[in-house]
Amino acid sequence: MSVSIATPGPRLLGRLRLALGLRGVPWIALLVLLLVLICAAGGEAIAPNDPNDLDLGAAFRPPVFELGGSFATPLGTDNLGRDLLSRIMGGARVSVIVAFYAIILSGSIGALAGMASGYFGGMIDTLIMRLVEIQQSVPSVALALILAAALSPGLTTVIVVIALTYWAWYARIIRGEVLSLKTRDYVAYARVAGVGTATIFLRHLLPNILNTLLVLATLQVGQVILFEASLSFLGLGVQQPDVSWGLMLSDARQYITHAWWPITMPGLAIMLTCLSANIVGDWLRDRLDPHLRQL
Amino acid sequence: MTRFILRRLGEGAISILGASLIVFVISRLSGDPVVLMLPPDAPASSVQALRQTLGLDQPFVIQYGMFLTRALHGDFGQSYRWQMPALRLILERLPATVQLAVAGLCFSLCVAVPVGVFSAVNHGGWIDRMGRIFAMLGQAMPAFWVGLLLILTFAIQLEWLPAFGYGGINHLVLPAIALGWYPVAAMTRIVRSAMLDVLNTDHIRLARALGIPERLIIWKYAFRNAAVPLLTMLGVYFAAMLGGSFVVEVIFAWPGVGRTVVEAVFSRDFPVVQAGVLSASVMFVLANLLVDLSYGFVDPRIRDER
Amino acid sequence: MLSRRAFAAGLPTLAALGIGPALAQGSDTLTVALGAESTTLDPTVAAAGVDYYMINDLFEQMLRPDPGGQRINWLAESWTVGGAPDKPIIDITLREGVLFHDNTPLTSADFEFAYQLMGDPKHARNVHQQADVEAFEIVDPRRFRLHFKQPDALYLALNFTLWAVPKKYYEQVGREGFNKAPIGTGPWKFVSRSVHEELRLEAFEGYWNKAHRPRVKNLVIKVIPEDLTRVAAFKTGAVDWIDAVPPSMLSDFAKLPGVSTRTVASGNNLFLNLAADLPNSPLKDVRVRRAVALAVDMDAIIKKVLFGQGERYSELVSGEPGYDPTLTPYPYDPKQARELLRDAGYPNGFDVICYNLTTPREPSMKEMGEAEFAYLSQVGIRCRTQQLEYGAWITTGLRNPTGPRMDGIISWMSGHGVPPDPGSAWAGQIHTYMPNAGWGGYSFSADPELDALVEQQRRILDPEQRAAVLNKIAHLKHERVLGGITTYRPLVTFAWRTDKVDWTPWPAGYWRTFQEVALKA
Repeated sequence: MSVSIATPGPRLLGRLRLALGLRGVPWIALLVLLLVLICAAGGEAIAPNDPNDLDLGAAFRPPVFELGGSFATPLGTDNLGRDLLSRIMGGARVSVIVAFYAIILSGSIGALAGMASGYFGGMIDTLIMRLVEIQQSVPSVALALILAAALSPGLTTVIVVIALTYWAWYARIIRGEVLSLKTRDYVAYARVAGVGTATIFLRHLLPNILNTLLVLATLQVGQVILFEASLSFLGLGVQQPDVSWGLMLSDARQYITHAWWPITMPGLAIMLTCLSANIVGDWLRDRLDPHLRQL
Repeated sequence: MTRFILRRLGEGAISILGASLIVFVISRLSGDPVVLMLPPDAPASSVQALRQTLGLDQPFVIQYGMFLTRALHGDFGQSYRWQMPALRLILERLPATVQLAVAGLCFSLCVAVPVGVFSAVNHGGWIDRMGRIFAMLGQAMPAFWVGLLLILTFAIQLEWLPAFGYGGINHLVLPAIALGWYPVAAMTRIVRSAMLDVLNTDHIRLARALGIPERLIIWKYAFRNAAVPLLTMLGVYFAAMLGGSFVVEVIFAWPGVGRTVVEAVFSRDFPVVQAGVLSASVMFVLANLLVDLSYGFVDPRIRDER
Repeated sequence: MLSRRAFAAGLPTLAALGIGPALAQGSDTLTVALGAESTTLDPTVAAAGVDYYMINDLFEQMLRPDPGGQRINWLAESWTVGGAPDKPIIDITLREGVLFHDNTPLTSADFEFAYQLMGDPKHARNVHQQADVEAFEIVDPRRFRLHFKQPDALYLALNFTLWAVPKKYYEQVGREGFNKAPIGTGPWKFVSRSVHEELRLEAFEGYWNKAHRPRVKNLVIKVIPEDLTRVAAFKTGAVDWIDAVPPSMLSDFAKLPGVSTRTVASGNNLFLNLAADLPNSPLKDVRVRRAVALAVDMDAIIKKVLFGQGERYSELVSGEPGYDPTLTPYPYDPKQARELLRDAGYPNGFDVICYNLTTPREPSMKEMGEAEFAYLSQVGIRCRTQQLEYGAWITTGLRNPTGPRMDGIISWMSGHGVPPDPGSAWAGQIHTYMPNAGWGGYSFSADPELDALVEQQRRILDPEQRAAVLNKIAHLKHERVLGGITTYRPLVTFAWRTDKVDWTPWPAGYWRTFQEVALKA
């Protein structure tokens, strides 16, 4: 790993350049992600205002750098006078929660399915792969919408829905990995020696696919955030009083001629977070598992 | 070859069948459409009568059986909301969605190809880096936000293009950009890496040594190679466009299948949801089949797999 | 290229639309844009209020309000109420010379046919409206009698419910055929329809009402549910009349030259429904309910969130039978609200689930609900908001014999219609829930005195007597804070170009009929 020591002056420019490229550690991206995590962990304690605090008199106040803005609400307010900055921080928390649980859930289901499919082969393999194909032949947004309507929308539902939408992707890739692992000697010896399946899964297969799983998970973060934003935007995702960036965009849509900042700010938050997640994901992939480049 | 096609078609048919069952079960869990269709002061007898007329009081299995037999004859039932056959409603909206998906794909290609090619040619230079950052930005912005920003800038501030709706080509521009934005990154990457691979080969070096102009080398010889993996992925991207069109159609009030299905989910219009999702599934499966076919042409080993 | 072929496939629909700068539309065509469309063009099947947007262009009933809001005879030339007081008979004589769009005359047989269809549960959705009519007697081709098994005040309020549909034609083409090519007696004749896009109509030459009829040959109704597009279409001149100008853009519209606007009440009535009949809920105490009513500053909310496009009302609206201008809405008094809570035994307030509708059935309904609930939280009624999209909201807010019931506060609505009459709404929201009799479909109150009064007013045909009972109900309802706390009536604004369009707006529910409209040269 080539990590440049922090020295001021001309080296700084070089380090910035490296951070934007795919070589070297992407500092800025990691910083952004750290900020998001801090917002998520800190929650209400560090936000300047309550994200759900209505103040009708302060509706549509512009950001601080425009005429009429105020430092109390530096990014402006929405149509009900709620502070955008606090809502964005609240949205960060939701995004982190959703991403975390959804990825763990879909990763676990997908990994299990993939391992079973690749290891056992035969009927189990056919069944699971058929399920994967069925899943992938329904447009994911449509499936998510119908599921969310059936399970009644909310934070938990969004997590479940996203997990059920993405498990197939993990399953397919893990299956491929396991197929190639199966041919390795130590696995064959273990089977011959009569080692139990569970042990083989845990001791031999899992550690080897962990790298891949990790990379897949980080690559998914951006996608999951976007998907949650889409669902919330359509109205079947996260609901008030939980705050979601997608929900903020949906609320701001009808006032698009009235105020530009309720539309722009949450979108910027989504973009910066996803971008950072993607950059970090790519960097991890290059470090740990370059052959996944084809994804 | 025909056996390959037939087998894939058969698998596709099973996938569609499975999809229809899943959608059927889940949508019926999403609520009772009958209360949505009657005025709130309708007595319980009216509710029961309507439920019987629609066949919603039967057990799931029978309902699904009836649905399947009718569907195989092309009858997806009457839309609960629109008093017209559900399939006709969907098919009337299909051209608009296909048009949007194709336009989105064209936009993606128009951006990805030049950026990818110039990135590869300029490997390591600032064009390369800028190109990759630009492509990454695309993958980080949700399609609906891009759409809203485009509306804000081009339709409201500058008033160059219409804000929403279906009309002439100028109505197609903004939605196509919003839809085609996302795959640009992946497409650029494919073009770029394929070009890089080709540009390092001997026969390109030979062409250079022979004095053939650089532009010809890039576009006539190298790009043709890069086009192959791109073309094979087109089917997948087209299918992705169809899926991504849902949200874009809602934003731009584009009268396509996606928007109709979203509306139908909200109004618990089961027949339309069913017809819409299945149409999309059929297109997905066909698109994937085309991709596999082209792989099959290119790489005979895949044909005989499994 | 792929795209060109795809465009060609879409061209026929493109041509049919023609949204673009309005140039040669022809001086005999008026193009308008509506924000919502009918789900069906068959009046015997229609149930949703929005269905009548288009149905009113093509079909008519026996009565209708005039531009002043008074109910006048329309297809009925005259009618009398006879028979026994508890089994009235309405004797109706139809106007002479009324023709359907296929130039066949309107006869009693057509109304009998409508009565049969609208009373058939397999066909219609508003079957309960015909529940009290036990027989339809044809006297001669222009005269018939409706025999009631008991008096029904709503029947008159709904303009005798029946629509004029041509029996022969309907039987000939069947239900689906009729929806594809409807024929009625209205001022406009059907030409073509493309769902989600437009409806094309032509002025009916043989229309019976020569004094009040459209003087434009063609009418094109575009359907543009997206606010911004509709406004853009108006501004670019693609359409010359739009409905539902978004509240946030009204100030812009006021500044546009050559544009007239007209703001009216939409006919919908919103209120907060409280679970007053739950034994363990704080809401069963009238003091708590009154606290809820006093806690919300509706005027401020309407001004800020709806940009002033809402009108407060208290139980009854002006123009309704029984209306009493002295019955004013609850004042905004948070201090009093807190005192009431303390008296009722909730010095620290209490927690309650507040259900909010997220789908904008009326503009900004979601934001209005959020604002209302925020005010409640400020006096200690801590709202745990649950957001519901339309389907879930209907299921939550309606009573049902099995399944969960609403257990807190829900923002709800029930239109009094136009011209306004509370009969239908109050039957659903005040009367105790009785599923088989059709009472209290969304009622969470159980007050026997109010029940008796609501049932009574339904059976009184004499307008003055009925008004007295309705007035009594209004006062009791207000005092006991039952059957919901009225919040506001949304206002809807129409806009048109005065230099191009000469339009006489008929009262609510019928504005979109374009009964009297002409193009200025």
